Amino acid sequence: MGDLVDSMLDLMRRLPPTHVEENVAALVGICPDYADDLLGSVDQPLKLRTDRSTGREYLACDYNRDGESYRSPWSNEYEPPLDDGTVPTPRLRQLEIKANEAFDTYREMYYEGGVSSVFLWDLDDGGFAGVVLLKKALVPTTPTEPSGSWDSIHVFEAAERGRQAHYKLTSTIMLQLVTRSNSDSPPDNGPFKKAAPEPVGSGSGARKEGEVSLSGSMTRQTEQDWPLQNQESHIANTGRMIEEMEIKMRNLLQEVYFGKTRDVVFDLRSIESLERARRQRELQKELVGFIKR
Amino acid sequence: MDASERIQAASKFLLQSPPGEINDVLNDVRNIISDDASLQEGVLPALQEYNLAQFIVADVPGSGHQSIVSDAAQLEGEEGEERFWDPRSRTSFRFDHLSLEASDSKPVEADNESEPFRAALESSTLTYLAAHFHDGVASVFSKTGSSTEFTIQIVANKYNPSNFWAGRWRSEYIVDLAGKKVAGKILVNVHYYEQGNVQLETKHTISFPLPPTISVSSPNTSNSKILALIEDEEGKFQTALNDVYHEMSEKTFKGLRRALPLTRQKLDWDKVMGYKLGAELSASNKGVFGGNGS
Repeated sequence: MGDLVDSMLDLMRRLPPTHVEENVAALVGICPDYADDLLGSVDQPLKLRTDRSTGREYLACDYNRDGESYRSPWSNEYEPPLDDGTVPTPRLRQLEIKANEAFDTYREMYYEGGVSSVFLWDLDDGGFAGVVLLKKALVPTTPTEPSGSWDSIHVFEAAERGRQAHYKLTSTIMLQLVTRSNSDSPPDNGPFKKAAPEPVGSGSGARKEGEVSLSGSMTRQTEQDWPLQNQESHIANTGRMIEEMEIKMRNLLQEVYFGKTRDVVFDLRSIESLERARRQRELQKELVGFIKR
Repeated sequence: MDASERIQAASKFLLQSPPGEINDVLNDVRNIISDDASLQEGVLPALQEYNLAQFIVADVPGSGHQSIVSDAAQLEGEEGEERFWDPRSRTSFRFDHLSLEASDSKPVEADNESEPFRAALESSTLTYLAAHFHDGVASVFSKTGSSTEFTIQIVANKYNPSNFWAGRWRSEYIVDLAGKKVAGKILVNVHYYEQGNVQLETKHTISFPLPPTISVSSPNTSNSKILALIEDEEGKFQTALNDVYHEMSEKTFKGLRRALPLTRQKLDWDKVMGYKLGAELSASNKGVFGGNGS
């Protein structure tokens, strides 16, 4: 029934990203047997939680979830507490602690705010896997200022091969931007004519209210080999890969969000009169023909 | 979930379909629900609601043009029969909400009182449509029982599945001659889905007063004036949208994540590790990496 999961993923690729959580919940309700497949393959916005023992914020997703509880990367504890919650082996936990420190530095350098979390887990074949999470949200200070949120989810697998390590990285970035506007554009009277009656005519007394929302996610994958000197090399290696990937994807997001979607709007409707443009083209053709003669 | 809840969930999915992708969504939903018999009946109301809200267009039988299937186009048919009205061809038709085909065309008698103004408004709207929309369809309806209220609807679609994008522009204006005002809305949806799922959604409502010179008795001058006002508003909307794009890109996007750190250089990961590693080395296990000559 891989077919069914494919259909669910195709559906999620089409429905509005702003409703991903409720749509995933609906799909889980329809096909409870496939809940794990679905929750493991559809990225959802990261949730902010606070570590009870350190007071520090961390990110929650399917990778640090056990039942209803989430593990904090800072204290290694589950909230709500679990007696038998899955935790990494002591050796991997040491690496996880260092990875969290390193990516916290990375976060500060690029995001200048926000929250990061890294979670590692052992794989059956002797290697390990991990997820690096980054989230930042901008809360508008005025009603018409845009709001925005950025969620990065980098999942990787590491396999050691002697003095080399092979990495598989899947990166998803979710980006949401919303602008609301509201204008009761009164006639342009200037400050001293407040009491002037509103003239009825073109462009005056118009009331407008609007919302522009750009939201979605993009996913990319890469596989690379890097030299391995010691355990810490894994952090620098995945660090470089993730940094490179985020730079590449940030460019891609910029192009798609602010280039491609805008082009489609202007392809639907042209501000300039198409008739005028057509006449101009014809005139140009005539001129070219005239010069050629 | 019981059967009716599943149909309800399926209907919700359909209503969220991006432009031009209702059949893809329907195929996915069919696979997921895997109960074609109950699905076919059950989702029909959702398909109808989607088509009316999204200004889906129909090829009007025998007319050579398309018209918009919407609430404003719905006629009160006999015995619950659903028919849609195309004032331009003065016909009505039946519409299949699954195949999107129009059939069973019948003549509709125009209302003598409102028709001259409606026809002039339609003519101005079609001129405006050709001037600004690449693949647009427009319909102009008069309100039953009123000779002073008209609805202009415009839709433009671009579907490009091979390049993974689709877009839809809808606008609607209720022209109220008695109240001397126009209430309108502009809705734009764009879907880009190459290795991702990015959607633009805009909702914009406008209302503006009509100049006093506009009246039913001067259909031609009044109508070109009304369309000039609409042209102005839609142009302003598009310019404002451009500004929003600029602000989101220059302020919000940059404020979320820098292109490079303040140093204008990528991170030196050995150094990032070095800080912590160095601190740890001096604290506990000297000699593991730094030990020489022991």
